[in-house]
Amino acid sequence: MHDVRFSGEDILARQLELAEENYRLLREKGVRAISVMGAIGSGKTTLIERIVARLKPCGYAIGAIAGDTAGDDDHRRFLAAGIESVNLNTQDDCHLDAHRVGHSLSELPLDEIDLLFIENVGNLVCPADFPLGAETEVIVISVTEGDDMIRKYPKIFAQTDLVAINKVDLADAVGVDTEVLVSDYKRINPHGKVILTDARYDRGIDELIEALGIECTNTQW
Amino acid sequence: MHEYSVVADLVSALLPRLEEHPGEVTAVFLKRGELRVLSDHALKSAFEIVTEGTRLEGASLEIEVVPVRVACDRCGYEGKANYLKDEAFHFVIPILTCPRCGQEVRIVSGRELTVERVSIRTPSDAEV
Repeated sequence: MHDVRFSGEDILARQLELAEENYRLLREKGVRAISVMGAIGSGKTTLIERIVARLKPCGYAIGAIAGDTAGDDDHRRFLAAGIESVNLNTQDDCHLDAHRVGHSLSELPLDEIDLLFIENVGNLVCPADFPLGAETEVIVISVTEGDDMIRKYPKIFAQTDLVAINKVDLADAVGVDTEVLVSDYKRINPHGKVILTDARYDRGIDELIEALGIECTNTQW
Repeated sequence: MHEYSVVADLVSALLPRLEEHPGEVTAVFLKRGELRVLSDHALKSAFEIVTEGTRLEGASLEIEVVPVRVACDRCGYEGKANYLKDEAFHFVIPILTCPRCGQEVRIVSGRELTVERVSIRTPSDAEV
């Protein structure tokens, strides 16, 4: 019996390399990319729409990659919001990966884009293992999923420093204490930041934009 | 659930590398960082299925979990992370905030997924 040694080669090294390639390309083109992860139906797309409505008057040219297993609903919404968009169907894969995102980047006019939202497939498990090359990451959950969401998916929350808790207007109706979500997250990620939003009625959007580090001062809202 | 694609990547990377090492592959040793969202149970069953009909068929997949180590750029701390040990979470979770000063930390280890070694039994082993 003998051992062949592999001096610790990373199986997912190719994914990391591809994510770095995306990151370099985006930097080179002056594009700030924001990866939006989150639960199914938590309001990722609606939040992006609200942010876009705020930022367009500030002069930002915005693009989006609409990641979903199937369909082009989100993609059509992004186009309707007046931004560049690429539809990325994973065909039943539960997460985006850097390779797929790289292809989508090649379909976008990156020279003309300042801000790019990469909306992942609704999933709080797999995306944690697949960096895409974005500069900033945010997770969107909503109160309607229950106040135990942080406890059920601790690893992704431990590794992501910004969380938007959406649909806070519905908390009472579904009997959820938003504070439980906030304090669970703070225990897992003490330096992380939580923003409470209600995308439908346009609340918490300014705070989320600020937390994303995007400046937009010359508007009238 | 991405254990199958991870194992498929592992197998396709390993097979060509093992061509120069004849014999029966008995075990593949992996190191998995504890921050990886991968189930060891699913990795093992995926390995069993993906390796069917290949040289790796019948080999066992041995997984060692690597704990998180963090480094702080503010106070210079480098070492173990603190863990949240709370019954409500059912298992312990590493906290990626500096145990000394509370700053965000860099992850030194705990996200890796690496092949360490592969055990091979050759005919000469049987003679011994």
